[in-house]
Amino acid sequence: MPWYLYLALKQLFSSGQRLFFTVISTVSVALGVMLLIVVMSVMGGFRYEIRQKIVDTQGDLQVRASGFIQDSKAVEKLINTIPGVEASSSFAQGVVMLEKDQKPSFPSIQGLDMRSVGKVIPLNRYIIQGSLQDLDDDAVILSSQLALSLGARVGDLVQIYTPLMLEVAKGQDEVLLPTELKVIGIFEIGHQQLDSSTVIVTLRRMQQLYGLGQGVHGINVRISPNQDADQVTQRINDVLEKEAPKLVPYTPGLRARSWSELNQEFLWVLQLEKNIMTVILLAVVIVAAFLTMSLLLVLVLKKTREIGLLNALGATRRQIALCFCFQGVSIGIVGTIFGLVLGFTFLHFRNDVVLLITRFTGSQAVLERFYQFSEMPAHTAFSDLVIIVVSAIVLSTLAGLIPAFIAARLKPVEALRNE
Amino acid sequence: MSNTVLVANALKKSYLSGDRTLDVLRGVDLTVYEGQTLSIRGESGSGKSTLLHLLAGLDSQDAGTISWGTHTDPSLVRKSGYLGMVFQAFYLIPELTARENVLMAKRIQGSLDKAAFLRADMLLSKVGLTERSHHLPSQLSGGECQRVAVARSLMNFPKLIVADEPTGNLDEQTGDAVITLLLDLCRDMKTSLILVTHNPNHASRTERKLILKQGILTEI
Repeated sequence: MPWYLYLALKQLFSSGQRLFFTVISTVSVALGVMLLIVVMSVMGGFRYEIRQKIVDTQGDLQVRASGFIQDSKAVEKLINTIPGVEASSSFAQGVVMLEKDQKPSFPSIQGLDMRSVGKVIPLNRYIIQGSLQDLDDDAVILSSQLALSLGARVGDLVQIYTPLMLEVAKGQDEVLLPTELKVIGIFEIGHQQLDSSTVIVTLRRMQQLYGLGQGVHGINVRISPNQDADQVTQRINDVLEKEAPKLVPYTPGLRARSWSELNQEFLWVLQLEKNIMTVILLAVVIVAAFLTMSLLLVLVLKKTREIGLLNALGATRRQIALCFCFQGVSIGIVGTIFGLVLGFTFLHFRNDVVLLITRFTGSQAVLERFYQFSEMPAHTAFSDLVIIVVSAIVLSTLAGLIPAFIAARLKPVEALRNE
Repeated sequence: MSNTVLVANALKKSYLSGDRTLDVLRGVDLTVYEGQTLSIRGESGSGKSTLLHLLAGLDSQDAGTISWGTHTDPSLVRKSGYLGMVFQAFYLIPELTARENVLMAKRIQGSLDKAAFLRADMLLSKVGLTERSHHLPSQLSGGECQRVAVARSLMNFPKLIVADEPTGNLDEQTGDAVITLLLDLCRDMKTSLILVTHNPNHASRTERKLILKQGILTEI
């Protein structure tokens, strides 16, 4: 090992006051890195979870038209031939009034094509009571919190009122009867908004409820693994641009949009939040770097005569600079490693920590409602990890450069005369 | 006549003090031969340390030349291990043990081998610090620290040792012991010594005695 690295390590990890300074600098860097890892991972986790929920409930992309898609089978057939598309499934959606035991609710309703939905949306994964296979035209599946608020269980009957009934009732003296459906299942996705107020019926039942005939509101599309949703979306749009005018009846405005495009504004806000937090937390690492720099500057001043001695023993200016620079780098590397360990340990126990905090503050329900997730998500992107590690080490290195430069500039005779 | 280890010709050095120029060295000539010991005395502020710094290649002269054997470049002579240095304030590195401090002189010259460790142990044994070789400077007395510094100065088989008031921080008895040790080791290892000192007793023990007065070095 070169002498300057050897001496740098000896000085960093010597006992007493110096070790205390080293520990303080290292802990500062570690805390900065830990905060960055935790915050960026949690924010990345929100994005990842949202993507997962969107893809699990809507597919990787959706094809919609300006109005209804009348011949959805023809469009599906067209889409399924495009490279990168694994499966597609038509859907219709809207809002209904749901009633049980004179308790009303106004959930959103999804009509799914039971023949193909399994290939696009893994709904089975989220069914917590009953079975998706039992869903027929006289049945309904409720989201968990909706079932809870209505007091509905599997086997119970619920009444559904649709906007179509209001249309029919206008100017007529008819008494409208709601559609009675049997609850055959309850699902829970883990997304507060979806779990609180959603019902699922078959596509045919939805078409009847809304008077759509054979029309659908859109087509959910699942892409093959390792395919890029935006690229496949572009391919579909290229095909639709050519082929859609040939469809009978003509379906205007037929266009595919990827999950990220559909949720562009929300994802943009998430990304903005993440970027702002990254900049703010980088300030913690910068403060740690300044602390390291001030400690190394004090060290250079204290070691002036030793620097003169090293010069006298034949050390070059470059080697002396490296000795101090290496101390900054070492603090950066060790601090970063500790920060990563602390950060990932915190992330591992994040739900316990949140539970502990909410138990003290009594805010667990509020947290779930506000953040939409029953558990705190975390997803560490490799690119984020690289940014954090490189920033921490570069800043610590820069912190070591100024003291190193000062040390290297000292003339041996002046350094030796220094009192 | 033995080979010369140092030849200094017409060395001049002056400093600015306010708007006045102080001529500290006004043309110093000195030739030191292999294995020779010499002392330089002078009053405080006479320029002894300035001269020694020039002879050790730590500072540059305003005029004149210095050659160290075949070397004329001060940075190269420092790097070569040709010179050993002993200072009044020891200048041991506090984070290193006595043995590591001695070895540091060799580390800076290049990598350590088994022979370097053996030589460090031998030198520590010669200065009577074998038992204390793993102690830090803070655990050693002033005399012991200076003995470690003497061992360090000899680590690279130097041709010449320059010692700047090595007993200045020591009591008389300890100072005498250090000078005895330094002179004995230099004789044993055929190393030349330039000793700057205030102490006439210490100066009298070297082969040549010089005095620096009004910027001129003269043999007594």
